[in-house]
Amino acid sequence: MVLGGSAAQAQPAMSREYELKAVFLFNFLQFVEWPPTAFSATESPLSIGVLGDNPFGRVLEDTVRGEVTRGRKVTVRHARRVSELRECQVLFIAASERGRIAEIMAELGDAPVLTVGELPDFATRRGGAVNFFFQQNKLRFEINAAEAQRRGLKLSSQLLSLAKIVGPSLSVGRN
Amino acid sequence: MEWLQHLPIRRKLTITIVSICGAVLLLACAALAVFEFLDFRRTLVREATVMADIVGTNIRAALAFDDAAAAREVLRAVAAEPHVMAAGVYTRDGRRFAEFLREGVKSELPDVSAMEGARFEAGALNVFRPVVLNEKWIGTVHVRTDLDGIRDRLVLFAGIAALVLLGSMAVAFGLSAWLQRPIAEPILALAETARAIAERKDYSVRAARQSGGEVGVLTEAFNQMLTGIEEREAALHAVNTTLRGEIAERRRTEEALAMSEQHYRSIFANSPMPMWVYDVDDLRFLAVNNAAQAHYGYTEAEFLAMTIKDLRPAEDVPALLEDVARAAVGSSHRGEWRHRTKDGTLIDVVVHAHDIGMKQQRARLVVAEDITERRRSDRKIREQLAWFAQLDRITRAIGERQDMGSIFQAVIRSMEEQMPVDFACVCLYDAAMETLTVSRVGVRSEALATQLTLAPHARLPIHENGLSRCIRGQLVYEPDVTKVPNPFPQQLAAGGLRSVVLAPLLVESQVFGVLVAGRCETERFSSGDCEFLRQLSEHVALAAHQAQLHAALQRAYDDLRQTQQTVMQQERLRALGQMASGIAHDINNAISPVSLYVESLLETESGLSAKAREWLGVVGRAIDDVSHTVARLREFYRQREPQLALAPVRLNRIIDQVAELTRARWWDMPQQRGAMIELRRELPRGLPEIMAVESEIREALINLVFNAADAMADGGVLTLRTRTVERVRAGEAQPEMLVAVEVTDTGPGMDEDTQRRCLEPFFTTKGERGTGLGLAMVYGIVRRHGAEIEIDSVVGRGTTMRLLFGVAEPKSATAGPAPAALKPAARLRLLIIDDDPMLLKSLRETLEGDGHVIVTANGGQAGILAFQTAAPDARFAAVFTDLGMPYVDGRKVASAIKSASPTTPVFLLTGWGQRLLADGDIPPHVDRVLSKPPKLRELRAVLATVAVDDQP
Repeated sequence: MVLGGSAAQAQPAMSREYELKAVFLFNFLQFVEWPPTAFSATESPLSIGVLGDNPFGRVLEDTVRGEVTRGRKVTVRHARRVSELRECQVLFIAASERGRIAEIMAELGDAPVLTVGELPDFATRRGGAVNFFFQQNKLRFEINAAEAQRRGLKLSSQLLSLAKIVGPSLSVGRN
Repeated sequence: MEWLQHLPIRRKLTITIVSICGAVLLLACAALAVFEFLDFRRTLVREATVMADIVGTNIRAALAFDDAAAAREVLRAVAAEPHVMAAGVYTRDGRRFAEFLREGVKSELPDVSAMEGARFEAGALNVFRPVVLNEKWIGTVHVRTDLDGIRDRLVLFAGIAALVLLGSMAVAFGLSAWLQRPIAEPILALAETARAIAERKDYSVRAARQSGGEVGVLTEAFNQMLTGIEEREAALHAVNTTLRGEIAERRRTEEALAMSEQHYRSIFANSPMPMWVYDVDDLRFLAVNNAAQAHYGYTEAEFLAMTIKDLRPAEDVPALLEDVARAAVGSSHRGEWRHRTKDGTLIDVVVHAHDIGMKQQRARLVVAEDITERRRSDRKIREQLAWFAQLDRITRAIGERQDMGSIFQAVIRSMEEQMPVDFACVCLYDAAMETLTVSRVGVRSEALATQLTLAPHARLPIHENGLSRCIRGQLVYEPDVTKVPNPFPQQLAAGGLRSVVLAPLLVESQVFGVLVAGRCETERFSSGDCEFLRQLSEHVALAAHQAQLHAALQRAYDDLRQTQQTVMQQERLRALGQMASGIAHDINNAISPVSLYVESLLETESGLSAKAREWLGVVGRAIDDVSHTVARLREFYRQREPQLALAPVRLNRIIDQVAELTRARWWDMPQQRGAMIELRRELPRGLPEIMAVESEIREALINLVFNAADAMADGGVLTLRTRTVERVRAGEAQPEMLVAVEVTDTGPGMDEDTQRRCLEPFFTTKGERGTGLGLAMVYGIVRRHGAEIEIDSVVGRGTTMRLLFGVAEPKSATAGPAPAALKPAARLRLLIIDDDPMLLKSLRETLEGDGHVIVTANGGQAGILAFQTAAPDARFAAVFTDLGMPYVDGRKVASAIKSASPTTPVFLLTGWGQRLLADGDIPPHVDRVLSKPPKLRELRAVLATVAVDDQP
């Protein structure tokens, strides 16, 4: 999906912020490769799960509606419990879940899921893969590449070149 | 182009070639430059497009995540390419997202979105490419490059092209300087030659031909033209010289002419051929040469007083005049004439005449060639050829004949008709008798020959006359026989002959005959005739000799064929004999019981009626005859005369027996056909006895009676007659007494040929029914008895066959011991071995009748066993054994018995008996051989010896 026409605004409104995040979530699908084990079937959709209180409203659904990426339909699911979102390839952990991050991570284990959060230390210390943050009023993201690699995900170098890399350095050739 | 025409040819060629090379190269370079320019533009666009695409791909994420700083980083990488002047990225809605500008370049980037493609504008290339993410257009990349590359490239290309052009021109120049030589040089040489000729007027100079092609042809033509000029000049020169020479020649000729006339006159006078010139109008001689005077005998003065008519016999003059009139002046002709010389001799000449004008006279020059000799030899050759042809005809005629008589006939006939002669004959010479015998006389000469007593077979004694010389091998020619006093020539002269030729007939230097030819006039045989007769006699002699050889060969061939037939006949007889001997053996075996029983019955059965006794007697005799007949079969295979046991025989009694035995044939069988044969017997009493084998005589007479009966198919009279005949043999005083027995029939009789051949074996007139052996057998019997056979036969009247026997010497009969005396005193124990049960049975019964004890064994093995196992008190006194038995034959039996008991006699009883006895081939261990059928009498005689031996 493309960015909205009003991205030049210095202080985006709440909805504006989540419109951007929805687009970014969708765009992650283009630059990340999941292992085949992440899908229960060849025709399984690419799912974006939202855990916790939904900050997107209907924006996320609007963004992905009718989209097809690498031959798979793109869907959005909402849940309070991790177990309900095991089938998802991208898991957005809302800020409402800040108190039980460790619990969620434990429950996920090694599942090939791209975890995306919006807490300051989500990627650096709490085991998340991607974390949104603002810099000079622009939405950016940081990536714990080691974490993503541990879960069997391949991140595009273009994606990595746009992100702030955190966490341990990449161990090349692990797989 | 005018300036080009004045240049030398070498330069012309060089300029042409170099100009062509330059123009072509320039064109090629221009085309290459255009291509290079277009190609470089395409490359530029492609490079810029690739660059834009790389930028688009790398910038996708930056655009997607709205990171302009990252986008600028990507764009900065483009700066590495020095020709890129500016680059930019636009979002989908046309907003400029990021841009790059080289230093010194003003930002002129178009604020345009959704543009795609490449455009050259204002000295730069603008390329627009889309940015695609997830198959969606999310923005546009713009790259602008300058066109300095194209300019640099074109400058470089122009430099290289100029270098290539210059180099090529230099090479073209060098090559053209070398290649133009074959064209230019011959032309220059030609020009040089032409110049040299023009300067020196020397036409013997020639241009060297250096090449083919048109220039070569040109050179050739030029040379030919020079040759033409040179020749014409030489000809002119020659004509000039000749003319000068001719003038000198004419002067010389005029001088020579005067001499020549004298010369020709001398040639005419001294020519070896007779020559003359005469006046055509009055035919007088005008000039005559020396040869003519010598040949014809006239002097020159005489000639000049004569006309040419005087040289001809009177009868030829009209033809001469005609010929002279026909001749035209100036013509030459040739003719054959007869001329007369001064002494009147006529000669044949060939005349060559040529008309000449001589001092206003019409004259003719004549050369006469005497051909009299030539004519004569021609005639002689023709004559000889005729003789040869005749000789050839006669030789052919006699070549087709093969007997001497007809050869002589052919020769004489040819001589009479073709020579011709009045008398011709051939006499054969008998060296022993010193005489000639007339063999053949010609048809025309026959009357004369009779008159001369020279008819065929007349004999001529050889005296010391022409004949004796001829007998020595010389050809004799008497031109006039009346002048020769000897008898033979006088004999011929008396018949009117005058000239006679006697030609000897020689084979291998031996005279065997004389060919006589005569004519009624004296001296009528030329030397050619004599030569012809000599050669003819040689041919005749050869042919006669060949005929003799041929006849001898034919005789030898006939002898050979006859011998071959004889051999074949003997071969057939031998085969028949082998068959006959087998049959004889079987018959002997088969009739043995009959013989034994008949003999035994007649001897032991006293109660027989007279008729039974008589009939048994007939049976016994018939069986005896059978056995004798069978015994005689061996005559077919034996060459040796058998020893006959002759005994006195009464013919009349035998004839009665024969009549009885043959009754069926002359009485019963003809009656069945409705014919009637009457049998007459003329048997005088007191006929002397003859020495003979009774059975054989009987056999012979039976055969003759059969033949007589067969000859009378429609009935007739058959007469059997005996009588005595007295005959005086040449050189003996006492007449010989013979006994004749005749068998006469009234049948169709025999022709001469049949009479001659009827005694030959296998000759028969009875067709399939006859064997052709009957009379042959009769003849054999008669010969064995030293008797004779005569045949009196008249065709249509009948035949009498007569046998003539010598009369027996009256002597005391050699009476053998009486049969009763042969009865053995002893009873003997006998072993009889045979494979024929019938024979065993009959022998046992008859010998038991004599009181012997008989043991029989059926076969050799059983016999030997019986002998070996006999009890000591029951030993056999003698053994009878058959010869031919299966497995163990008589010889083995005899050998076994002799080895067991050497003193026991062994008697071989066999159907081959006669033959063994006759051949003296008695097998070892056998004491006696007895023939089958065995006679009781013989058995008893043999047993008597045993009995004597056993009674010490």
